[in-house]
Amino acid sequence: MVRVLVLAAGSARGLEAQDVATRLEGRVPTSVAHAVQAIAQDAAARGLPVELLIQKALEGGAKGVPADRVIAAVRVVATQLDEARGALREAGIQAPSPQAVEGGAYALNAGLNAHQIRDLGRVSQPPYDPALTLRVAATLTALGVPAQRGLHLMTRMMHAGRPANELRDLPIEVQVGMARGATAAEAAEALDIGEDAQGQQGHQGHEGQQGEQDQPRPRKP
Amino acid sequence: MTKTYHQLVKNLLDGELALADLPPELRAEGEEALRLAGAVDRTPVALSPALDARVMATVRRHAEAPARRAWRWLAAPRQIELRLRVRPAVLAGALAAAAALVLLVSRPQAPIGAPPDVMFVRFVLHAPGAKRVTVAGTFNQWDQNAAPLVPAGTGGVWTTTLALPVGQHQYAFIVDGRRWIADPAAPAVNDGFGRRNSVVAVTTQGARTL
Amino acid sequence: MIPGRKAGVDSKDAATDGQIVRAVLAGDVERYAVLVERHRDRYARYAARMLGSHDAAEDAVQDALVRAFDRLADCREPEKFAGWLFLILRNRCFAERRRDQRESRLSDGAADAIAAPERSDRAVEQRERINALAWAVEQLTPEQREAFVLKHVEELPYEEIALMTGATVGSLKMRMHRAYDRLRDLMKEHV
Repeated sequence: MVRVLVLAAGSARGLEAQDVATRLEGRVPTSVAHAVQAIAQDAAARGLPVELLIQKALEGGAKGVPADRVIAAVRVVATQLDEARGALREAGIQAPSPQAVEGGAYALNAGLNAHQIRDLGRVSQPPYDPALTLRVAATLTALGVPAQRGLHLMTRMMHAGRPANELRDLPIEVQVGMARGATAAEAAEALDIGEDAQGQQGHQGHEGQQGEQDQPRPRKP
Repeated sequence: MTKTYHQLVKNLLDGELALADLPPELRAEGEEALRLAGAVDRTPVALSPALDARVMATVRRHAEAPARRAWRWLAAPRQIELRLRVRPAVLAGALAAAAALVLLVSRPQAPIGAPPDVMFVRFVLHAPGAKRVTVAGTFNQWDQNAAPLVPAGTGGVWTTTLALPVGQHQYAFIVDGRRWIADPAAPAVNDGFGRRNSVVAVTTQGARTL
Repeated sequence: MIPGRKAGVDSKDAATDGQIVRAVLAGDVERYAVLVERHRDRYARYAARMLGSHDAAEDAVQDALVRAFDRLADCREPEKFAGWLFLILRNRCFAERRRDQRESRLSDGAADAIAAPERSDRAVEQRERINALAWAVEQLTPEQREAFVLKHVEELPYEEIALMTGATVGSLKMRMHRAYDRLRDLMKEHV
């Protein structure tokens, strides 16, 4: 139970070498433990959260994955954390929280690219937390919603000042639509809350091209 | 369509320029614009004094409604059964498919010393023909023996309830000790090993697909 | 139940908004009346200009205050209750505008007042211009109208509007500048 709580405590910045070794002992081959320790120390030294690295190693061990593939997978996670933090910095978030960095890594893994993470980071101003918005965007993509559509919908909702819990509930709403027989893309489109009815500002670079219309734009069938 | 205002006149309207700053040829347009802006009605609006009483009457009703007691968890943890926002008819349809996951959430009675940020999450898998089903994930260090499911009834439905810390978790089911399967109804992400994991977010308000 | 505006409210309550929010969340529902009294008028004019009528504004403000209570647990920064309330109200105003658009309930009655006056009586001219501009602002898109109301009625700087609405200063200016042109067109009988 204590272990579980340690996991839930969030990223363990400045993780000691012993902690990594203790967590991995008996769960992965020694070669993996040493390699992951080194990757984690390097990541921690660069200020990245290391929890996801340890989790990935444990997962690989549990799934009986060959040592070299486990190490490769852990390296991929380290790269994703680094890339996510870079993208958030480019978005103007100087000190992204560990949760936001992990959210960004999750988003990269789910299929979003660094530009999309940067763009989402830019739009996620208070009261919107990028740690949440990134997870929502990633989960929508993981459900099968095309990345751009998910981002477009979320951006419009944030510009309209929707409460954060409505954003958080988007994946569930998409799943309900899918359970009724829609594709993920169709379910997301049906969630269109009419933000494009009259007066939508074009997002993602369309501003100034479409202009604003005084009549509601016809909805796509 | 009337001619559009010159950019400088728009800046004037924004309050970034004074009329005197405009070149002579734009003064007339600037004055016209200021006349338009001068017609703005800034009369304060007073709402009825009875508004407060109406708001509070509604607020008191909402405060007592059982469904709304949920937000009091923040102060006083208690056992509450919550369901995901999936309507029963939809759920039945989902269960008719090959496999489905339903998460029912309840908050444990907080004994002294128990961590506050833990929720009970129930996992359900429809896997007829399986002899053994367990669930492993980030909440139990991917230990495939830590959380066995038990058959619920005879319809091939397996279930277990776990205490999960608040946060985001990845997980998968293991059928008969060798087949790792993600929940087909939940969002799935690559595990980096050629398979897929399911994702769930546990919040103080219940489990979310996130 | 004591009728009247200040039922049960201690108007000398010196607690901050954040403290009151936390007290309400802990179960002291009656304290919410203090927040209602403090903030009920703050956005009344904004709501009236967004919705085009006093009655609609009153409904919207009442509705927003109740919703703010229902969702109080979601208020991440209790000290910024006012800004959060604004977002709820704003949402409500936008939703109502969309509903009005769909049901073609836009007020169009003031179109009659647009006819240019024949007498050059300044006071009458000005009154007609005020009515005409109010009507013209109602014809703007909700986003344009909001930008105009916050900048010219509430007289807020772009930076503050950006913080309140989540838009960037750049997009607000673009929105506003289109609004100016549209207003000019709608007002061409009067300027």
